[in-house]
Amino acid sequence: MGNKSDRRSFLKTAGAVAGGAAAASLLGAGGAAAAKKRGVPSGPIKVAAISFLSGPAAGPFGIPGDNSYKMMADIYNKQGGILGRKIKLISLDEAGGAKGQVELARKLILEDKVDVILGYISSGDCKAVLPLSDELGGLMLAYDCGTHVLMEGKKSPYKTPKYELGFRTAAHLGQDNIALALAIKKYMPNVKKIAGINQDYAWGRDSWHIFELAIKKLIPGVEVVKTLWPKIFTTDFTAHVSALQGSGAQIIHSSLWGGDAVTFMKQAKAAGLFKQAKMALSRGEPYPQEVGAAFPEGQFVCCAGAHYFLYPAWDKWPLNKWFVAEYKKRYNKYPTYPSYHAFQAITAYKVAVEKAASLVGGWPTIDEIAKAMGNLGFETPSGYLTINKDHNAREDCLVGITKMTKDYPFPILDPDRLEVFPSFQVNAPAGMRTEDWIKSWK
Amino acid sequence: MGLIYALNGLYFAAFLFLTSLGLSIILGVMGILNLAHGSLYAVGGFIAAFVIGLSAGSAAPLMILAAGGCAMLATAAVGFAMETTLLKPMYRRPLEYQLLMTFGILMLLEDGIKLIFGGESRYASAPFDAMGSVQIMGSTYPLYFLFVMLVAVAAGLFIWWLMVKTRLGIMLRAIEMDRDMAQAMGIPMRALTIVAFVLGASFAGLAGALVVPTTPAVLGMGMDVLIMAFIVVVIGGLGSLKGAFLGSLIVGLTRSFTVAYFAELEMPLLFLIAVIILIIKPEGLFGQK
Repeated sequence: MGNKSDRRSFLKTAGAVAGGAAAASLLGAGGAAAAKKRGVPSGPIKVAAISFLSGPAAGPFGIPGDNSYKMMADIYNKQGGILGRKIKLISLDEAGGAKGQVELARKLILEDKVDVILGYISSGDCKAVLPLSDELGGLMLAYDCGTHVLMEGKKSPYKTPKYELGFRTAAHLGQDNIALALAIKKYMPNVKKIAGINQDYAWGRDSWHIFELAIKKLIPGVEVVKTLWPKIFTTDFTAHVSALQGSGAQIIHSSLWGGDAVTFMKQAKAAGLFKQAKMALSRGEPYPQEVGAAFPEGQFVCCAGAHYFLYPAWDKWPLNKWFVAEYKKRYNKYPTYPSYHAFQAITAYKVAVEKAASLVGGWPTIDEIAKAMGNLGFETPSGYLTINKDHNAREDCLVGITKMTKDYPFPILDPDRLEVFPSFQVNAPAGMRTEDWIKSWK
Repeated sequence: MGLIYALNGLYFAAFLFLTSLGLSIILGVMGILNLAHGSLYAVGGFIAAFVIGLSAGSAAPLMILAAGGCAMLATAAVGFAMETTLLKPMYRRPLEYQLLMTFGILMLLEDGIKLIFGGESRYASAPFDAMGSVQIMGSTYPLYFLFVMLVAVAAGLFIWWLMVKTRLGIMLRAIEMDRDMAQAMGIPMRALTIVAFVLGASFAGLAGALVVPTTPAVLGMGMDVLIMAFIVVVIGGLGSLKGAFLGSLIVGLTRSFTVAYFAELEMPLLFLIAVIILIIKPEGLFGQK
């Protein structure tokens, strides 16, 4: 892993844009030359990277995301930065609630004059802060929050983009839950009884809502036998586990995250829940590594996109091999999906700046960067990412089934049962709400 | 499944009893509503997770003993420091000063934990995993939960013995019943106040230590527990051991059966019970008027 040729080939590719042959020439040396005509400011680019660095969401999401930002900023700076300007990464803690994040975003844009905000794990924070992008004239890239309604209008069709300067650079929960339903249809087409355990707030409710809509469309006879809504940060799931056991569900959908996910999986395994039911975890990818060998086999795990340290296969896609090796070298862990999401955000900014610069002949304005970003494609460790005219990223979605092997101290996703759903199969078309799109399926 | 629902309820009751015990002692003897109680619980949780991490690979009882002991000692020390420096000047002030001070301590302790242990979650499930499960009437049940129930019973018996059978306990109860009279009788108020606070703090630490094998230690872990402990104290009665016991049982069993049969009502029902008690018997089931 991580041999020099892989690294060189990545740096060469990532230094330019890789959205297609034309884009490669636009954003490579040509872009840098064009940029000289208008001039490039000499100071560093201020990039605010906001993730949970403390609290329950820090371990599974915030710190892996922040690690990736630091790693990529360091690597891009060693390459010469963006059009010769170094990236000055400002890592900030997302803790403090939506109100605090709104105040922080105002300060970052108006006082600190940051060039871009890459941020937010929490959907609530994304929904509160992203409207400020247009209000204050600051570029914002929502990098990890899962709410599907972030870029959607109130009814279909809706005007796109919702925000001129606001973007999302990763998958949302609509994608996760549709992919899970598709995978279940493939592996358990005759499933009769399903249940759900999701946290009692917007994330849990929305995740279940989309999953229920999708699975009922795909497997019309399926019956929901139990829906549980534990409050967030529950430490005792024994009552929920027993209730699920009593329900006779064959599939249990869950979007539990962080300590809740770990606690539930451990307590459920100890109580024997997985002898009768399989979990369908909508963003479960980090937890086998977090829980270790005690994580049960045979469970459906979605990867919040196609983000997995063993997918795409390293021989087919060396960029993933390089990314995994570099991350493991620096942080002694395999990257999880937030790390991949952070790569996508910082790289989307870099690629968009370079693309815009090549078109305008100098360092682009925020509006020019936004225009370039609204029609962007580039290579990531997980394959190709496109950002559409609705300012919403489109990526494929991976669902796997856990399996213990002798190669790792935790279950991996069984290489023989990896299901990758193309972006068009799990994302609503631009201008159409996810919910309406699912309802329109025949 | 009825037996398993009942066992789940008893386990949650045991956990609540351990967390509300310290809160109840401090409230009863000192008259202080300690908002930092949840943070002391979190300190115990983080210390225990650290100790379990160090003793990984040892036998489960040894890990639990080391973790519980260290957590109790650490929270007793923190409690001693809190009482003698920050709380002592507050006793003669109105209640709102005490609330503000204990809330300030809560935030200080949270930041202290972050400073020492960092922001990441700490996993310490080795004792839970090592103990495994037992079969009870055809259902699998984790042995660790039964162990926590036993600890809660032992803790309750210990506190009962201490309060009823020892001279120390009689003096503490005297303070609880009539502070001025106890002082007039020559009871060493200052020393006993410290003892009560340290005892309450160490039980918060024990509860934190016992929970981390089942759930990661995370920043902010004390907040929800504090709310649940307050519900128990409101139902059972301020400062009452019997009240804490019965309140825990009511909350634990109600929650377990509600989740099984009326899942949407899990939290609303608990709050509703607390509200009803506050209206018809504001001092709680066993509290003093």
